[in-house]
Amino acid sequence: MKTSGFHNFLKKTGPYAYVLPSMAVFMVFLFYPFFKTIYLSLYKTNKMGEAKLFYGLGNYRDLLTSESFYNSIFVTFVFVLIVVAGSMLIGLIAAVLCNKAFPGIRFFSTAYALPMAIASSSAAMIFKIMLHPSIGIVNKLLGLNINWISDPKYALVCVALLTAWLNSGINFLYFSAGLSNIDESIYERASVDGANGIQKFWNLTLPGLSPIMFYTLVVNIIQAFQAFGQVKVLTQGGPGESTNLIVYSIYRDAFFNYRFGSAAAQSVLLFAMIMVLTLIMFRIEKKGVSY
Amino acid sequence: MKKRILSVITAAALTVSALAGCSQGASTGSSQNSQTSQDVSETSQNVPSSSTMSPVNTAGTAEGKEAAQGQTITFWHSMGGVNGEAIDYLVNKFNTENTLGIQVEAQYQGSYDDAINKLRSAQIGNMGADLVQIYDIGTRFMIDSGWVIPMQELIDADGWDTKQIEPNIAAYYTINDTLYSMPFNSSTPILYYNKDMFEKAGITEVPDSLPKIAEVGDALLEKGGAGEVISLAIYGWFFEQFTCKQNQNYVNNGNGREDVATAVDFDQNGAGLKTLTAWKALADAGYAPNVGRGGDAGLADFSSGKAAMTLGSTASLKQILNDVNGKFEVGTAYFPKVSDEDEGGVSIGGGSLWALNNENPAKEAAVWEFVKFLVSAESQAYWNMQTGYFPVTVAAHEEPVFVQNMEVYPQFMTAIDQLHDSSPKSAGALLSVFPEARQVVETEIENMLNGNRTPEDTVKRIAENINRSIEDYNLLND
Repeated sequence: MKTSGFHNFLKKTGPYAYVLPSMAVFMVFLFYPFFKTIYLSLYKTNKMGEAKLFYGLGNYRDLLTSESFYNSIFVTFVFVLIVVAGSMLIGLIAAVLCNKAFPGIRFFSTAYALPMAIASSSAAMIFKIMLHPSIGIVNKLLGLNINWISDPKYALVCVALLTAWLNSGINFLYFSAGLSNIDESIYERASVDGANGIQKFWNLTLPGLSPIMFYTLVVNIIQAFQAFGQVKVLTQGGPGESTNLIVYSIYRDAFFNYRFGSAAAQSVLLFAMIMVLTLIMFRIEKKGVSY
Repeated sequence: MKKRILSVITAAALTVSALAGCSQGASTGSSQNSQTSQDVSETSQNVPSSSTMSPVNTAGTAEGKEAAQGQTITFWHSMGGVNGEAIDYLVNKFNTENTLGIQVEAQYQGSYDDAINKLRSAQIGNMGADLVQIYDIGTRFMIDSGWVIPMQELIDADGWDTKQIEPNIAAYYTINDTLYSMPFNSSTPILYYNKDMFEKAGITEVPDSLPKIAEVGDALLEKGGAGEVISLAIYGWFFEQFTCKQNQNYVNNGNGREDVATAVDFDQNGAGLKTLTAWKALADAGYAPNVGRGGDAGLADFSSGKAAMTLGSTASLKQILNDVNGKFEVGTAYFPKVSDEDEGGVSIGGGSLWALNNENPAKEAAVWEFVKFLVSAESQAYWNMQTGYFPVTVAAHEEPVFVQNMEVYPQFMTAIDQLHDSSPKSAGALLSVFPEARQVVETEIENMLNGNRTPEDTVKRIAENINRSIEDYNLLND
């Protein structure tokens, strides 16, 4: 009788014990920083980053009345839009092209997946030289005289396209995996029915890719929101504040101006934005994705 | 329903990880430093005498030298590229030549900004280095931090003569008659010009003010073959120097030297507006297009032979001469005045060496030995030749290496003359939030040049922004 009680106890608590290690990791690296961030967002901090003066919702109020914060949000959304569209498009096209067997396919697959292996800061350094107005190769090849990263018209687009290219590598892998999961026979049947290439792409390939496409979209959006190295190296948020993405603005406030309070408040707002966005996407998923 | 909850949780987990990603930056800095602090504790065990030492500073004395024996000290610096190689050379030389067996571990910490920010993170866990190179504008912050041993204490203990240091350089780092840090790599900004273009355009007199640059602009473009009159980078340091040139203060309370500054002064005394008006006039006329932000942003246009002039640090001289590589003759002149009536000078920039207080007299003594070596005439002459920074020690001027270098690069004399022509009065401002202030200045100047903001508006925005930061800082850190 007693042993079966113990057995029951084990049966009930056992699953929790399995979760424990991962929860411990989450505790230290996610939940603790998360709550600490919320705590800090209610304070003004001194130069050591210690909470010094309780400021209530003051940090949030300051942010929501600050022109610079709205600019950061706007810039971030434009950036995310360009990056996600760009990186998914490049990844998808590359994956579709590499879906056929032809000589040298390995070379092309490697080339398309390669951006995945490049650190964003080192890529940014190379681009900084390439985009230089008087000695850079971009202006030389195009015969233009544009100061790409010092002109507010182009700076954001340049950083976004660089990021899109960097992120396209992993998308290429996802899409390639997705494509190989689509049953070849449905294409044959479609051919028998007289469908052309474009029809096959729209009606077979895209729906077949939709689960992986959805996953890629969510990951890409979150990844784009977190882009940092490129901005730090290429533009430092400038010219003016035209590339002052919210993550960069958080970094700047926290580790440059040592205003952890304001930085924490921005983090919390960013969290709320991504959260809402992700929820919306999960809702859309139900309609658009066919498993 | 269950699936919905699941999706909410997944969404939350994904986004929390996004948020947590932001706070990881702080820990990376300190984890790296914990390693160095380990070295520190290990080596201090080798020298049992250090724990029994009295707190009185013994740097440089026989007792101090004995304590310093066999110590390992950590030195953080921000010198990359050619300059970093020169530092490594000096450190190696010290490690092999010093008779006390002191070992210096030099660690490159990234840019000046990165270094001071890493130091802040490291000090939160009290795990910094023994000696740090910090830029000029970090001076007030370092004094206020309470982390440092004023260099003066080590100097006094040893009876070292501070007159060995170039007076105008020492003036910058001397507050209330105390030399807080040892000047090491000092520079001033100068005007670089393309002699060939000036000759072709028939200009004999090198412009010494911003309006005069505009006057020769057309001649340089039309006859001199210049693609750009002046490659003027948006750099906060230049704005500070233009204020110095007008003999005006950047912040109140005697430029932050008599007492802690409570507000900027350039909006009150008109210096900021004059600078920005002249700057915008040059830009609007097309003579000074926006070439980007930061100290090096303007150099490439000049070195590639596009711009006829540029402003840059003396420490860039070597780099510029290397890049130009004889394509044209490089001339140097004084940093331009804002208007022809200005009578001020320039202040120095660059970095200095700060001894951190780790409550370990043996290490302090070792740090002092290393500092003495770095500012010795021989080291400074070598340093000057390799980098273009000033020799901070007067005696370095007599070293054969220095004399030879002056013969090969007579352009460097401009920098020295310019410094000697400036009075210690234009020593430049001290401000706790200087790094942030400089960023604000750069951002707003960028906005002015790119958008259609007036100089008046820009000065107002800069002042408001910086004043708010000063206020916050003074409130939270007393």
